[in-house]
Amino acid sequence: MAASPTARIGDEELVASAQKGDRRAFEELVERHKQKAYRIAFDFARDREEAKDLSQEAFLKAFTHISRFDGRSGFYTWFYRILVNVCLDYRRRAKRAPAEEYNETVEHQVDPTHVPANPVAPDQHAIAGQLWRRVGAALELLPAKQRTAFILKNHQGLSIREIAETMETAEGTVKVHLHRAVTALRQSLAEFA
Amino acid sequence: MVVRDKPALKACRDLEEDLVLYYYGEVSESARGNCDAHLKNCEACRASLAEMRSLLPMTAAHDEPAQAFWEDYSREMRRKLDAVAESETWWRRIVGLVAPLPVPALATGAVLLLALTLTLTLTLGKGLWRSSTSAPDDEAFMEVLPMAEQLDFFSNMELLDNLDLLETLTGQGNGTA
Ligand SMILES: [Zn+2]
Repeated sequence: MAASPTARIGDEELVASAQKGDRRAFEELVERHKQKAYRIAFDFARDREEAKDLSQEAFLKAFTHISRFDGRSGFYTWFYRILVNVCLDYRRRAKRAPAEEYNETVEHQVDPTHVPANPVAPDQHAIAGQLWRRVGAALELLPAKQRTAFILKNHQGLSIREIAETMETAEGTVKVHLHRAVTALRQSLAEFA
Repeated sequence: MVVRDKPALKACRDLEEDLVLYYYGEVSESARGNCDAHLKNCEACRASLAEMRSLLPMTAAHDEPAQAFWEDYSREMRRKLDAVAESETWWRRIVGLVAPLPVPALATGAVLLLALTLTLTLTLGKGLWRSSTSAPDDEAFMEVLPMAEQLDFFSNMELLDNLDLLETLTGQGNGTA
């Protein structure tokens, strides 16, 4: 990757420039954080297009509220909370046929240049598709805060304390959300264990 | 098809929550000792923990888009930023006058009032408006609405608390165990 002229500038400086109306500075912040943001959104949406829209929506909210960023935390920490709030509100927009959903979200989302080392057997593939759909459905059935606590812990590996800070709630509440989410998911997915 | 029908494994009830935290490495030192001791003697809890270990990692979603996707992403992002920046430029001049108002309800009220005023201004002073901007009247008016929503965004950051309450209420309603 070629070194960009802004590579040595810290996020704080970019934010300061963005606050003065420098669009290029904000675009550089997007470039720096878009992949992380996208992956987080994908944990929630499990769909490429929707994960892109969600993460972009979070960037737009950060952009329109950049004047409110006070620098007490890093830019990414501040942005992360906006992103999680956008994802927390997320509901799948249009219900698609479950059969095509796995094809679109998993198969077509594999980099076409990537050749798997161990091709998946048809039977394994069918089970993977079934599991993918079942997990998606089970996650959607969870109350928003349980789903969020679960994804932040299970997928993103945040500590209970970090989740509590991000969700602006007590650690005990996060533990309850997590326990309930895990219990519900295990019930939905017991046959795959 | 290797998928079998079987119920989720049940751990001892009073250890259930600790076992979830144990799995995630989030138990206190004393609770960990407690769990370790219990697990030595309880087959059901050992099976429950083993089930979490095999099941929960499978629930994570991974996606590695190709480079072309990221280029599209940036292009689309710039377009969206353009649209927002454009609507903000003229809006800021107006909203700057009422920005110090701290209460979201007041801000929303002010936005609606401004929208109304703007409609009147646009209707009454079309010639003047057109001389300063090329935006069609309808378009300019429509831009007011999303901005009103954006003013509400940071009050929505408190949404988590409201959701908590809602979940409690609906939880009581459907009586799930
Ligand atoms: Zn036990």
